[in-house]
Amino acid sequence: MEKERFFGVNWQSMDAGMPPEMNSGAAAADQLPNSFLNLGWEQPMHHDAHFESALSSLVSSPSSNTPAGNDSVIIGELIGRLGSICNSGEVSPPSRYQSASTSCYSTPLNSPPELNLSGMDHQQQGRGGVPVPGNQMAAGKFSPFAADPGFAERAARFSCFGPRSYAGLGGQFGLPEAGKLSRVSSSQSLKAVQMGASDNGKEVPVSEPERPVTETRSKFGGEAEFGNSQEASSVSDRMTAVGAENNARKRKAASKGKAKGAPLSSSNMNPPKPSDGENSDAKRCKPAETDGADKDAAVEPKTEENGDVGRKQGEEGNAKPPEPPKDYIHVRARRGQATDSHSLAERVRREKISERMKLLQDLVPGCNKVTGKALMLDEIINYVQSLQRQVEFLSMKLAALNPQLDFNMEALLPKDMHQALGQLPQQVYPLDMASTAFSYAQQPQGTPLQSIVTNSLDVQGSLNPLESSLRRPPTMQLPRLDGFTDATSQLGNLWEDDLQYVVQMGLGQSQGTAFSSQSMPVE
Amino acid sequence: MAAEMGLARSSRHWSRALRRRLLLLRRGTASDGCGCQNEALTSSKEGGDLGVGANEEEAVEVEARVRALQRLVPGGEELGTERLFEETADYIEALQVQVSAMRTLACLLDELREKRG
Repeated sequence: MEKERFFGVNWQSMDAGMPPEMNSGAAAADQLPNSFLNLGWEQPMHHDAHFESALSSLVSSPSSNTPAGNDSVIIGELIGRLGSICNSGEVSPPSRYQSASTSCYSTPLNSPPELNLSGMDHQQQGRGGVPVPGNQMAAGKFSPFAADPGFAERAARFSCFGPRSYAGLGGQFGLPEAGKLSRVSSSQSLKAVQMGASDNGKEVPVSEPERPVTETRSKFGGEAEFGNSQEASSVSDRMTAVGAENNARKRKAASKGKAKGAPLSSSNMNPPKPSDGENSDAKRCKPAETDGADKDAAVEPKTEENGDVGRKQGEEGNAKPPEPPKDYIHVRARRGQATDSHSLAERVRREKISERMKLLQDLVPGCNKVTGKALMLDEIINYVQSLQRQVEFLSMKLAALNPQLDFNMEALLPKDMHQALGQLPQQVYPLDMASTAFSYAQQPQGTPLQSIVTNSLDVQGSLNPLESSLRRPPTMQLPRLDGFTDATSQLGNLWEDDLQYVVQMGLGQSQGTAFSSQSMPVE
Repeated sequence: MAAEMGLARSSRHWSRALRRRLLLLRRGTASDGCGCQNEALTSSKEGGDLGVGANEEEAVEVEARVRALQRLVPGGEELGTERLFEETADYIEALQVQVSAMRTLACLLDELREKRG
């Protein structure tokens, strides 16, 4: 294959020290992914089984698409995935990184890749709409991959443009991307200036690799390329939770489409609230989604990798304050805001809280029209109060409807109360209730329970027991209410399994034998 | 009271707090009678009034409401705002399910009563 040849020329110097596991791990018959993967992992590859799995998924999926027309798509995907993987594995010192402001493909320090680059550029401009040169060019991107973390970001952008552009624009492949990338990289440098206002010159390059990393990840978060945008956006949410205005900008640029010359500079100055921006971008990217074969597998390991690397970066970043190793790893100070750790942590906390409030808004009906924390909290409080009142009223109504029925309340309290339960004299009735909507009061002497056992006890979710109990009552109402003796025997037949489970779960071992007493006739 | 026992089944924080409260009530019932079970609701209502009554800065208002919510949700007093909202969401869900189940049951029982004559 031409790709092999192309790589064979360039990878000679980098062949040494290829990790053997990469060779064995790559499953594809395609040697292209093999070769450049081995290369790429020569240095940044420090560890990790999930790298391998990600790579093997990466390798295997492209190999499944053989038609020439899809080659460019495959390459685009490969680039994208490698970008993310390499980013996550990228902890190499910033010394190898060069600012991307100069050109789309800034030359890294290694000489062989430079050759590639020049060759690539030529190909880029001179191509005649043939997918193979496009592949070569794309493949050539991988050459400086290991050395240049900025490439990962560019590759990501490349890939996000890739699938769509490849469809119709085989010949135009290089140019729109080149234009986009240069624009992006210029905005990147602009950001670097912004961010590095308080930092010395050294720190800017340090922060740069981190930003492209997050941007890349967020790209993947919003990117149409990945089949499961939900997962991807969760990745982006995790990684760029707060202060991700850069990411929002990038994704906006990507989602607006390559054909449009959507100027990034304008979006630079209008940073929306990060979480809102992320959400809207993710939604915008979704419709433009192209299908992807094994992307889920690739996304999952990446999530972990990103988390690991993000945490490392959080600790290493000079430009950023230290981050607690919790779920939110990467926090960027917004423009014009304080960057000390307290205010950033405070902002993270506030974002979390507003997130929760949105959840509550969904739960409480009629909360959408209300804006503002105080009013919304008012609504929530009113709703909770009304629900509690309803529960109270309904329980009284039910008690009124069935005054003759009683239940042993102690027996119904769940396992936490073992100590209390152990002291009580009568523990005869093991019928427990997953939802006491159907419970009845019991006379203190300990007459048998008339309560309904709902189901095999999903203690975690009250929904399940209630649902199943809702299903049951129609069949059981009649026997239960009419004749107690009949009821108990029928109850025993119906719920034998549940009751045994209930007994073990709710009431402790002392209750275990009480189950047999349930079949005794009821007084 | 019986309905609360159903709510007290889950493993969430508010549910455990509810269990503790029920147990205390149960023990207290022997001596006090059943009047105390409404305490939780009445005090929470007062809290709601307090929140509304405070006409000061937004932060203070919000704070007051948060405290009111804390009183509403069992076990909420110990929780931070973030956790409180989580527990509130879960509590609301549980309440909704409980209410709908009880309503269904009440309807069924009514029907049965009418059937029996």
